[in-house]
Amino acid sequence: MSYCVNCGVELGDGLERCPLCGTLVINPNELEKETVLPFFPTRQESVKPVSKRELALLLTVMLASVSVCCGFLNLALKPKLAWSLYTFGAAAMLWIWFVVPLIWRKINIVVRVGADILAIGFYVLLIALTSDGLNWYLKLALPIIGSAAAIILLASWLMRDGRRSTLMSIVICLLSSGLMGFAAEMFIDRFVYGRWTPSWSLILLAVCVGLSIPLVIIRLNPSLREETRRRFHL
Amino acid sequence: MAKKKVSWYKMDNASVMYSSLQKEEYSAIYRFSAVMNEKVQPEALQKAIDKVMPRFPGFRSRIRKGFFWYYFEPNEAPGPFLKKDVAEPCRPVRFNEDNNWLVRFYYYDRRISIEVFHAISDGSGALSFFRCLLAQYLRETGIEIADCDFIQNVEEKSTANEWEDAYSRYAVKRCKAQPLIKKAYQNTGTPENFYTFNVTMGFMPVDKLKAKAKSYGASITDYLCAVLIYVLMDKQKRERPIREKPVALSVPVNLRAYFPSETLRNFIITVQPWIDPTLGPYSFDEVVALVHHYMRIHCSPQEMRAAFSRNVKFQNSRFLKIIPRVLKNPVMSMSYKIKGTRPYSAIMTNPGAFKVPDDMKPHIEHMEVIQGQATVPRPHLATMSYGNIMEVTFSGTMKESELERDFFRFLIKEGIPVHIESNRQRPAASEGGK
Repeated sequence: MSYCVNCGVELGDGLERCPLCGTLVINPNELEKETVLPFFPTRQESVKPVSKRELALLLTVMLASVSVCCGFLNLALKPKLAWSLYTFGAAAMLWIWFVVPLIWRKINIVVRVGADILAIGFYVLLIALTSDGLNWYLKLALPIIGSAAAIILLASWLMRDGRRSTLMSIVICLLSSGLMGFAAEMFIDRFVYGRWTPSWSLILLAVCVGLSIPLVIIRLNPSLREETRRRFHL
Repeated sequence: MAKKKVSWYKMDNASVMYSSLQKEEYSAIYRFSAVMNEKVQPEALQKAIDKVMPRFPGFRSRIRKGFFWYYFEPNEAPGPFLKKDVAEPCRPVRFNEDNNWLVRFYYYDRRISIEVFHAISDGSGALSFFRCLLAQYLRETGIEIADCDFIQNVEEKSTANEWEDAYSRYAVKRCKAQPLIKKAYQNTGTPENFYTFNVTMGFMPVDKLKAKAKSYGASITDYLCAVLIYVLMDKQKRERPIREKPVALSVPVNLRAYFPSETLRNFIITVQPWIDPTLGPYSFDEVVALVHHYMRIHCSPQEMRAAFSRNVKFQNSRFLKIIPRVLKNPVMSMSYKIKGTRPYSAIMTNPGAFKVPDDMKPHIEHMEVIQGQATVPRPHLATMSYGNIMEVTFSGTMKESELERDFFRFLIKEGIPVHIESNRQRPAASEGGK
């Protein structure tokens, strides 16, 4: 029987370290320890994650039935206007948003965000194809969705696994919003006027950068960080 | 062929809460273990389980999902079957797995364990069941155990009183619960990987603990609560927060002592002894005195009745009744977070001394209790005594062991010898259960 030299507690025979402080148990009288049956069992049994396949199936069936019903109604009522393709596209987009994460449980957040944005891109493409608007899709929608996707993916990668502090997360969100506004105005100007004259997006970007700089300084300076917490009762 | 009519019964308000909180990572579950003096005979134990289960229909039930609420239904599935014990106790219960059983049985060397989902029974009800099971097990091994008042006879049928909803029976219409503190020191740490459950047990002599508690003019429960509050206050201080928060415990109280009932279902309420460190430093004597008087003042039948009447009123609310369960669950979850997690730093439960007839005493070495995981990564404390052995368990999904270290070191400084066992040192190679 050994005692922890740090804690003063008597330790179980099978323990090699004190479970409270981690100190190694060395008893000069018992250097060659007899093998004892552990106090707690050591048989591991994994806890399987709850299967979400039933829910995924239910959602899939619901989305599919809505699409099929709309398709029949479309054929029966107004066959010339293919409006049911909108519901079909929306159902496909919702399926990627909600059902894919249920089936693929260990999906990487960047892959998931990428797939979600891609689904939006395809849905808008479907709308463009049915409304004869491939021109606006290629020159306006696709660049805006593409740039937004790039910025959101970068932000998600930077903030993955919650590895950024609250302040840095706010900074990343602010700068991302500013950049998205900036890119949106650029593509809208080019499409509508044929040239880019930055106006509101520049103000938005300036405000975002202006708010971010003090936050970065607060984040990097421990005394300022403490002071901010104190002032804002955080 | 006529379809067999399956009876069902409504949940009490505690069961509703525990069922609603059920998630993939969390189940309200607890474990009682008896370490026998001889190695467990699995065949005899399985026979005992088969004989005892019909006597306790509440334990032989399963949870079904209704449109508005969950409800209980008798479980006619085969089992429950005895299993070899596992390294991580109190694993989550799944309503649609393991033949829908809400109670599990394990054995390991000399240890017999039961794990109970809190929706079916509280600690007092589960201990009645466990006592009956141990008596039956000993009988199956050839030991003569005479019938006595506090062990149910497996040959008799259960009575309606044993399965009454005692909350509803004693609830009053007009009730005004005492306000609680809104947010206590949370004592959270780094979460372990799913599903790693750390258990550290401390064993100490009851007579020495009792004498020490008496020297402060307190009971054992008051004294252990005070030690926990004191070490939590010290821990919070070391973390140097901008503003210290109150340190509060959730201490379940068995209502059967105040409102006579034979129920084996849930019939507990929690009281909240707390101390605000911002008022100034407290000596340990002062903490013990405050906890002792708090418990005496707030464990009044009127106050506790008001608290559980509010819960019953909430369950019977006409507005809530018409909201579908899927919408109600997130509300219940949020409500538990606000009312059941934030106002507390830890749960400290003491089901008390485990009493058995004289025939059984020579066959049981000691008893153990483990509280299942909390909704947040922080340890909870559970204590139980048998004979002259008091067992104190810290259990949780938190990597750090700072709280238990401080707690047991404090007891050592107080002159109480502590023997420690823990599952924190997991060997890389696993072996079969024994």
